[in-house]
Amino acid sequence: MTAYNLEKLKFLIVDDNDNMRFLVGTILRSLGVRDYRESGDGIAAFDELGHYPADIVVCDWDMRPMTGLEFTRMVRSGSDSTNRFIPIIMLTGYTEIQRVVEARDSGVHEFLAKPVSAKTLYARVRSIIEYPRPFIRASLYFGPDRRRKENLNYDGAERRIAPPKTLN
Amino acid sequence: MADEDQSELINLPNMLQAKVTIGGPGAVSPEVLEQAESMIANMTGNYLEWVKGDLVVLRGAFEALKTSPGNAKEKLDDMFRIVHDMRGQGGSFGYKLITIIGNQLCYLISGLDDAGPSEIEAIGLHVEAMDLVIARNMQGDGGPDAEQMLKGLEKVGSKFAG
Repeated sequence: MTAYNLEKLKFLIVDDNDNMRFLVGTILRSLGVRDYRESGDGIAAFDELGHYPADIVVCDWDMRPMTGLEFTRMVRSGSDSTNRFIPIIMLTGYTEIQRVVEARDSGVHEFLAKPVSAKTLYARVRSIIEYPRPFIRASLYFGPDRRRKENLNYDGAERRIAPPKTLN
Repeated sequence: MADEDQSELINLPNMLQAKVTIGGPGAVSPEVLEQAESMIANMTGNYLEWVKGDLVVLRGAFEALKTSPGNAKEKLDDMFRIVHDMRGQGGSFGYKLITIIGNQLCYLISGLDDAGPSEIEAIGLHVEAMDLVIARNMQGDGGPDAEQMLKGLEKVGSKFAG
């Protein structure tokens, strides 16, 4: 396990449950994070991203009035979104596979099943640092590449049409 | 993912790797991770305060369901949200049984559109069990008593499965 120093990373915690925000904040502090902010709903979080240069968002799925998935879609595709590429870790009590697929299709980077712990949250942060994923712009999707691993057994033609673009 | 086949691939610079360093003071070593886990375990006092508050709200929602039969779906949804939050927190603080019973209760509630006497009885048993876990401070797997209780609840829940 690589021991990263996270003190320069900025986090935004989005959860409509005060206790969960407190728990996630405590975990982040105990992992050495010094700068994080909290939002109690998706709309406030979207506004917060407009002036707070967060590096990673930790967001709950089951929020009102805006769910975590709706928030993610707004960050990825909203016309006034300020940080479309920001990594999003989705916290959820749902673990059914169709839920995981739904989260992935909304543009989430990592999925973290509750109950959350320091070890599981750090593992997701590490994964984001170590395995950055390119983004895909398609007619029905904008978000991190959903193909996590290259299929080494695939011997067909490359189906993606446009050549890769590199942003600096 | 057919849509993705007709897509543009955008490679991004790894901004995060540029912001983190490896090792040294402040890095998340296995020891730091263990200390972080201990810090969460030491928040049990906070958790007990939260969960007792949640139980009061849950019992209130259950009473509302029991005593006035109208708008059952709405009341079930209210209960689901409370239990959903509870199940998400219990395990983080060593109260695994709150997460397990909460999972079972969420599963039971999410399959219901209405609540007759047998559904209300089943929900009530789960609420009582969650109460008992906190009242008796049943941490971890709770021992043989908890095992019996979970088997009983599973049996109750299985009547409504599917």
